[in-house]
Amino acid sequence: MNFAALWVPDFALLAVQRSEPALAGRPVALITGEGRKAVVVLASPEAGRVTPGLAVPLATARCPGLQLRERDPAAEVETQRLLLAAGFALSPRVESTAPGCCTVDLQGADAARTEAGMHRQVLELRQLGLPVRIGAGQTPLLARYAARRAAPVLIVGEREEFLRDLPLDFAEPGATHLAVLHGWGIRTLGALTALPKAEIGIRLGLAGAELWERAKGEAPSVLRLTEPARTFVAEWTYEPPVESAEPLLFKLRRFAERVAMELRSAGLVAEALSLTLLLEDETDYRREFRLPEPGADVDSWLRVLQTHLDTVRLSERVAGVRLVATPARPEHRQDGLFDTGLTDPNSFWENLARLSALVGSERVGTPVPLNSHAPDAFRLERPADIVPAPEPPTVHPQRGGVLRRFRPPLPARVILENAKPAALDGAVRGEILASSGPHVLRGDWWKPQPWAVEIWQVELAGGGLYQLTRTAGGWWIDGVLD
Amino acid sequence: MPRSTTIAELRSLVAAWTPAPLARSGDCIATGAPAIDAALGGGLPRGRATELVSAAPGSGGELAFGALLASTRAARQRIALIDAADGFDPCSHPPDLLRHLVWVRARSLAEALGCADLLVRDGNYAVLVLDVRGVPARILRQQPTSAWHRLRLAAEQNPGAVLVRSATGFFPAVPWRLVLRTTAHLGDLRRTRADRVAALTAEVERGHAGAREELAG
Repeated sequence: MNFAALWVPDFALLAVQRSEPALAGRPVALITGEGRKAVVVLASPEAGRVTPGLAVPLATARCPGLQLRERDPAAEVETQRLLLAAGFALSPRVESTAPGCCTVDLQGADAARTEAGMHRQVLELRQLGLPVRIGAGQTPLLARYAARRAAPVLIVGEREEFLRDLPLDFAEPGATHLAVLHGWGIRTLGALTALPKAEIGIRLGLAGAELWERAKGEAPSVLRLTEPARTFVAEWTYEPPVESAEPLLFKLRRFAERVAMELRSAGLVAEALSLTLLLEDETDYRREFRLPEPGADVDSWLRVLQTHLDTVRLSERVAGVRLVATPARPEHRQDGLFDTGLTDPNSFWENLARLSALVGSERVGTPVPLNSHAPDAFRLERPADIVPAPEPPTVHPQRGGVLRRFRPPLPARVILENAKPAALDGAVRGEILASSGPHVLRGDWWKPQPWAVEIWQVELAGGGLYQLTRTAGGWWIDGVLD
Repeated sequence: MPRSTTIAELRSLVAAWTPAPLARSGDCIATGAPAIDAALGGGLPRGRATELVSAAPGSGGELAFGALLASTRAARQRIALIDAADGFDPCSHPPDLLRHLVWVRARSLAEALGCADLLVRDGNYAVLVLDVRGVPARILRQQPTSAWHRLRLAAEQNPGAVLVRSATGFFPAVPWRLVLRTTAHLGDLRRTRADRVAALTAEVERGHAGAREELAG
């Protein structure tokens, strides 16, 4: 499971329904076009026999109480931000793929924890009126296919088995190709990928070969990452302006839900809220609220806002509303007997697990030099739960160079004069101005394979200090003394 | 309307729409290298990215990092090193100076940036160091600029400091870029490290106007 996709079916319709409380439980249809040419694009289940493509007069005849709305770009943006916030709760690498769809890079994430996180996000978004589906797979495309089949979470294990029975339209073929493939009796992705890609390419051209790749779930896709929310602001314009607090509070709840989710995904809380009401006469009413306890609890925010709005009397109608949350880090806990010494222990260990999965567990940790004189002898340990108090300073101050290593060491040729290096040739070359050595190191002499090296420190005429090693196999440049 | 009121309103409007940095102005982490701390007004600014360029071999990049290790160790703060070219040598440092360090030995720049993306948002590290020295300039140039902007923006939303160590100044729009200009000779290795750290010279190549204002208080 490398990628996950969060997908909301009928996204545009849901965005409109979420923004208008009056539409709850009523038949709604999104329409496009004007006058007699207007047709239904999407319809809610309550609309019964109203289907996409139906002319509006026919739709209203079939469902007399049908509420007609056009797409609402502002509501879609607001809802998409909520979806992205859910994506950021799973990973910081999120792409806003399309309206109602985002793709999350999960590489390195712990599978069990991530799956639990997906179920949590589904529950949370459902409570906020967004019936999301989440799919996960080895490629972004596979994750998106899985999301469309999810109920509500689907993790694809066996790719071939999953793709075999998916209908062709998942791979989005053009109308011409679809007709040709149907003519060949091909109706599923499995049937298409059973044919050789080269043969499809010969008959359907480059677009056909690309279609075959999509059918295989392999189409190359680099995620265009979205930045996590940096401002925690929500704004809405009322058309027409409103007079009562009810529509204001409805909208503020929606805002608060989204902003709180963005804050939680970023590991932040709100320490203050700022409410601005834009009035019809182009003036505004602004009030700051410092929260009694910084947090991201929507109900407590709304209690503060509602208590205040109940006391406000305005001479003008409200044409718009803006809510701004001031972010803050959750307060540090007081150190206790069993304290881990970490601000956010969950994040610390989870990120270490992800890093281990990304680069390998043997390449992440706290370095501990080994009790050996062998060059570059160290091991990586699990970081300490608590950073211990520093040891007292040593009696003798630290001297010598600090090495920046070339791993592996670079082979070199060294010209000697009077048994001392005089010139260096290799990845680094030049006349040697001064040298210090040899410092002979030997070890494991009691073992079948003892080792011995000569260490030299040299200064090149052109500048730069380097550490050289001479072994039985020749000369090596260990690194720069920086 | 008086002019000052207009400016105040404009400022409050801008403040409402631009993210407030989580770190307090002037809050910084001492590196233990006097030249660097003096140039930055006390140390690495929290909630900011800083680039430290060690152009020439022997200019003191590793010495400065050793000083940072000692400084953060004394304060018992955690530090993460993402090593894009796997050049860090733990055996060059006293073991006690490494006990607060998390070292990530990346195998490529892309891998290092992926790791930085995770750790910069972690919240447990006082300093995140991304070392790209040793990464060929060609590979650095191939990396989309957006990746560096993403890192910079993430740094601004988090309480720790971000230090990028490079061989050539490349980090776009970084608030602070310092260049180490020290020249080392073989005889210097006989001096104590503390003396050599004190002798490091750092030059401010880039100081963002806003960053300078912060420094001025």
